Amino acid sequence: MQKQSISPYIEVKGVTHRYNEVVVLDNVSCTIEKGSITAIIGPNGSGKTTLIRGILGLLSPTKGTITIDGKSPSEMRTHVGYVPQQLQFDRTLPITVNEFLKAYTCKDQKHRYKNITQVLKEVGLVDQINQKIGTLSGGQFQRALIARAIFHEKDILVLDEPSAGIDIEGEQSLYELIERLHNEHGITCIIISHDVAIVHRFADSVICINKRKICQGSPSATITPEVLKQLYGSDAGIYHHHH
Amino acid sequence: MGQMQEYTTITTKPMLELLSYPFMQRALLSGVIISLVLGWLGTFIISRKMSFIGDGIAHASLGGIALAIILGIAPLPTALVFGVVLAIILFFIEQKTNVSQDAAIGLLFTTSMATGIILMHFHEGYQPELMSYLFGNILAINTTDLWAIGGVGVGVLALLSVFNRQMTFITFDKDGAYLSGISPARYDLAFYIITALAIIVSVKLVGIILVSALIITPSAAAKLVAPSFSAFQKIAMSIAFIMTVVGLVLSYYLDLPSGALIILVGSALFILMSMFKSLKVNRKS
Repeated sequence: MQKQSISPYIEVKGVTHRYNEVVVLDNVSCTIEKGSITAIIGPNGSGKTTLIRGILGLLSPTKGTITIDGKSPSEMRTHVGYVPQQLQFDRTLPITVNEFLKAYTCKDQKHRYKNITQVLKEVGLVDQINQKIGTLSGGQFQRALIARAIFHEKDILVLDEPSAGIDIEGEQSLYELIERLHNEHGITCIIISHDVAIVHRFADSVICINKRKICQGSPSATITPEVLKQLYGSDAGIYHHHH
Repeated sequence: MGQMQEYTTITTKPMLELLSYPFMQRALLSGVIISLVLGWLGTFIISRKMSFIGDGIAHASLGGIALAIILGIAPLPTALVFGVVLAIILFFIEQKTNVSQDAAIGLLFTTSMATGIILMHFHEGYQPELMSYLFGNILAINTTDLWAIGGVGVGVLALLSVFNRQMTFITFDKDGAYLSGISPARYDLAFYIITALAIIVSVKLVGIILVSALIITPSAAAKLVAPSFSAFQKIAMSIAFIMTVVGLVLSYYLDLPSGALIILVGSALFILMSMFKSLKVNRKS
């Protein structure tokens, strides 16, 4: 895996977020380097999705600041590609893969319709171009979301549990695709994942949170049995997939 | 041969006669505009699962119409202003509170309708204009109404043509649209306002009680067969067009309320398309 510059690119400073009176993030500070693959791990309800929604500018923290390249997330939003855990839309709607990406086109010549085919080739979905989005499998749907996210040559790719609902082989090829895109395009990737084995294999940095930041560093140095117990409870441990 | 000639004369003559009446020309022209506007808007309304908004705005317009009748001013412009104000209030309730969209629509628009009923209570005598708004009346479309329908209709169609991509994007992925640089809140506000305007100009032709069917039925039928979103929009507009023109023509010949016939033609088309879809599925399997 290629490591690029080490300057802090995304900076989260003392971020607290409350939904009504419930604290979901408590004074979290962390940094993400440009060109890295950073994983965010933590149990359900630990504030991972809230943290990335803050980075995306989709919500403003109750306290603290988030900057991307020194600018606010809303100013930088067009530089970020987002692959949500679930896209909340009616899957019976007759939207084709082509139209799904077409909605994202802009005036830039490089981003016109002809590039749709090219980007679909990159994610291995070109044969499904005229298929309705609602009829795609879980893995194909995630690939369509990734295709849309990379369509505009984004600087940052944020993936919220991209392999949720996909079988192990689909998961493997999905992460290989993310790694390839990262290597070829130099995209900074932020991935929320529950799978520690995947984090070890693909990420070069990991942030562990459980409402508060527990630790940050390289996966091999950071994900220790103690940290896992702190995050997931006393029964937690590392296991390996066998393919 | 002679029989054929007689048949042709019988069917074409009344048709030409129908088109020679100025009230029917106005009704057909306004019906065509309304059908295209509501057919197109309906695809967004159905996709956003906002079917209730059509009924809500139409019923709420009663407040504006009743106020205009009481004050002795033109009902349609009053109802349009009233509808726009309600659309803006609905938008802010949705943005600033945690009241759900359907609850906000229900709350706001029943309040407006209740106000209309109370206002009408203070007005003595039979109200033919009010009955036209409730049930739709092709005879009631005057030149002023036609201008209002034409103005609003052409304006809404122009806006939808220019911003169709953005509206479609927001419809199926608001977060994605925001990250692409679109401001979903602005488009939502514009969408509520144009929906209110389009529904209110349609009530005189179709009626407050039935106008939402002209939004829902074409899209529901089109969704059954459309292979893509752009086809979905074209089919929905075509169905709305057919049901309006056929409904108006039948209304003239059968001397029955226009709104009800437009909706019944739409329902028949929906049934036919459901059957077509079932046949297609059966053939495949």
